[in-house]
Amino acid sequence: MIAVTEQKKEKAYRLLKSSALLQQIMFRYMMEGQIASEEGNLAWVTSGFPVEIPVAMNIGISYPEQYGAVVGSQRMGPELCGFAEGLGYSQELCSYARSSIGSVKHPDQSPLGGLPTPQALLACNNICGTVLRWYDTVSELTGAPVFLLDTPPLEGEQPEHHRDYVRKGLDKLVDFLEQVFGKPLADERMQEVALYSTEAVGLWTQCLEACKAKPSPLNCADRFLTMAPIVSLRGTDYVKDFYVSLLAEVKERISNGVGAIKEEKIRLLWDNIPPWFTIFRFFNGLAKRGVVFPADTYTHAWTGSIEGDNLFDSVVSIYSNVYLNKGLDAKIDKMCQLIQNYDLDGFIMFSVRSCKRYSLGQLVSKELVTERTGVPGVVIEGDMVDSRLFNEAQIQMRVDALLEMFA
Amino acid sequence: MVIRMSYSRVVEQSDQAIRELTEAGEQILGYIYPHFPLEIAMAHGLLPSLVRTSPSAGGGYESSLQTFACSLTRNIFSQRASGHLTTFSGIVFSGNTCDSLQNVGEVWRKRFPDDKTFRLTYPAAIPSESSVTFLAEELRKFSVAIDSEFKMPFSEELFKDAVALISEIRESLQMLYAARVLSPKLLEYSTLSSLITGFLTAPTTSVLDNVLEIRSSTMEDLEMQVDRDLVSELQNAFLRKDLMDIGKFDESISIRLLLVGGMIETNALSEFLKSVPNFSEDMIILDLLSYGFKTAFTPSISLVGDPFENSARAILGSLGEPTQEGLSDRVRFLKEILSKLSINGLIICEQSFCDPDEFEAPSLARAAEDLQVPSVRLPIDPELSDRVRLEGRIQTFLETLM
Repeated sequence: MIAVTEQKKEKAYRLLKSSALLQQIMFRYMMEGQIASEEGNLAWVTSGFPVEIPVAMNIGISYPEQYGAVVGSQRMGPELCGFAEGLGYSQELCSYARSSIGSVKHPDQSPLGGLPTPQALLACNNICGTVLRWYDTVSELTGAPVFLLDTPPLEGEQPEHHRDYVRKGLDKLVDFLEQVFGKPLADERMQEVALYSTEAVGLWTQCLEACKAKPSPLNCADRFLTMAPIVSLRGTDYVKDFYVSLLAEVKERISNGVGAIKEEKIRLLWDNIPPWFTIFRFFNGLAKRGVVFPADTYTHAWTGSIEGDNLFDSVVSIYSNVYLNKGLDAKIDKMCQLIQNYDLDGFIMFSVRSCKRYSLGQLVSKELVTERTGVPGVVIEGDMVDSRLFNEAQIQMRVDALLEMFA
Repeated sequence: MVIRMSYSRVVEQSDQAIRELTEAGEQILGYIYPHFPLEIAMAHGLLPSLVRTSPSAGGGYESSLQTFACSLTRNIFSQRASGHLTTFSGIVFSGNTCDSLQNVGEVWRKRFPDDKTFRLTYPAAIPSESSVTFLAEELRKFSVAIDSEFKMPFSEELFKDAVALISEIRESLQMLYAARVLSPKLLEYSTLSSLITGFLTAPTTSVLDNVLEIRSSTMEDLEMQVDRDLVSELQNAFLRKDLMDIGKFDESISIRLLLVGGMIETNALSEFLKSVPNFSEDMIILDLLSYGFKTAFTPSISLVGDPFENSARAILGSLGEPTQEGLSDRVRFLKEILSKLSINGLIICEQSFCDPDEFEAPSLARAAEDLQVPSVRLPIDPELSDRVRLEGRIQTFLETLM
């Protein structure tokens, strides 16, 4: 009787033991952000911002995009986006931005009481053009000044004048931060922060690459959750501890032949941000049908290491060459590489209405990726935070159609 | 005399003009983003022409773009997918201006691989020496790409001619803009719009002749009413983006409207507004539209020194777009205009699914509210698919101002 109960309890997906440590680290990150804000020492940064520079200047950091994920996962998206819409921001705009604007306006009605109030807003447009306009709006609401690190999108190799332009932008960033926070940048501290960042990114990359194993030790939702420190805590000393722990668990799973899901039958690639409000339901639902996602294009975005004789040059190169700052060809190449390297059977592209930079081009990419790799894919449409823009039945139907191809 | 035409007729006529120029042996280079280096294209012997949206464009984009791509890019893509836009020898897409335009440029290359397409990347940061240097290098690269594709090298002589021609057209348009502010009844807004349309279609000497003719008659009429120096003063203030030294204008006209927004053609807008009951063209005091004021008020290019650097400096000297850094400067300038020109109604046009327009609009509306100027927002697409509702909105807005 006991054995039967235990068998019944065994889920189609497996929880990570490292989750407990992740919660501790993220709690610390939130507390540090709160304290920094109270001390007049907090900057909000975009996910593709060279955060190592403000961190090296001992400035506290908060990530509104990550907060958007929290809003989404707590299913508060429609309510907070609605606050922004009440201020005149169209429902056609990015839901990270709308929920962020809504939470600034109504922190008391937002998860965690909203993000701590910033003293500066640091935007880098290597992930999209929206971040500048979003931060401009937050600036109007909070009075915090905006700094834009302009990293023009690339076509192939980065030309010298692009490098020079971004490099000058970094110099202006240091001047801006010195002016706002009254803190200088010390070379030794920058080297230390760069080393922490590189070590963490190295460990994270190993975790990602371990998913080439069969069965895959991590599923999509696992990676989307465990990427939080690499997004928000690059350059800090304690982030490494988490990734050492995660990598050990991943290796342990591989050596024991234990996968992220109970029975791995189909291996797929995920493209784009996930629907945060249904992330577990969506991926675990597929896990029950034997579908695992050993790779995705999103969590692989944080892979560059800041190193070499001239750290700022390295920063220029890494942050200009992020996935979303390259052309369609680079995106198609990346998807094909992941499909081949991770031995994937197909792919799901989430067309996120909020994110034009990521999503426009997917209809063409889908055809070209299939043509090059021979594996089928499907495009589903919805949103990452605003669940009003997510038609579950329609999405299910399209995913079913893809899965039938593997039957 | 300028003949009034409907916007569809204007589009048809500009298509016809382009066809005729092509038949006459001109190679036409299409562009979409308004701050295009016209003079550099002309220095290569190419004729730059705005790729115009079509109010009658049907579908065609659906297998390549999602519905949330901005309405302007969907419209242009649909035209191409339906076999139109063939008169263009090449099309230039902008980079780093908005995510839609950039991605659509890439999708275009995949879908229409035989088309000659170019990308010109703009700096998004507040203009500075480093952004001038960056854009200058992009323009140089663009020039090399044109040469390589069309086998038409950059000619200093053609560049000088182009600078002279474009400067004269722009300065005349600037003067007409300033004159209209002083006396809106002197020149119908639709007439000014038609001149701009001609300039955007093909900056030729015949366009210049047309502009000069209207300028001459308008200035003659104006001189009977106000001091000509006032026109120059206002024109220069607009170019400086600073109206601090300008005195406040009278309020003899009860409704004084300012049109703001992004990449919406002045002709399309004026034709739409004219269809609204109780609307009169002289209510429009000024527009700050990308294909209007911002097209006209681009500073002239200096002929001393490097042509690419000078072109970059001129392009970055125009009033910024919502795609760029500098919202607070744009809001400040808007407030100056609202206040100094005694504007009492603001019409904010937003291209549907255009992130830059839709993000900027609430800030513009708040700026107007600060000055107790009523505003109305118009979500517009090139097909004017929501025309009846938009008309109703404007009509109600005008009634509140009366």
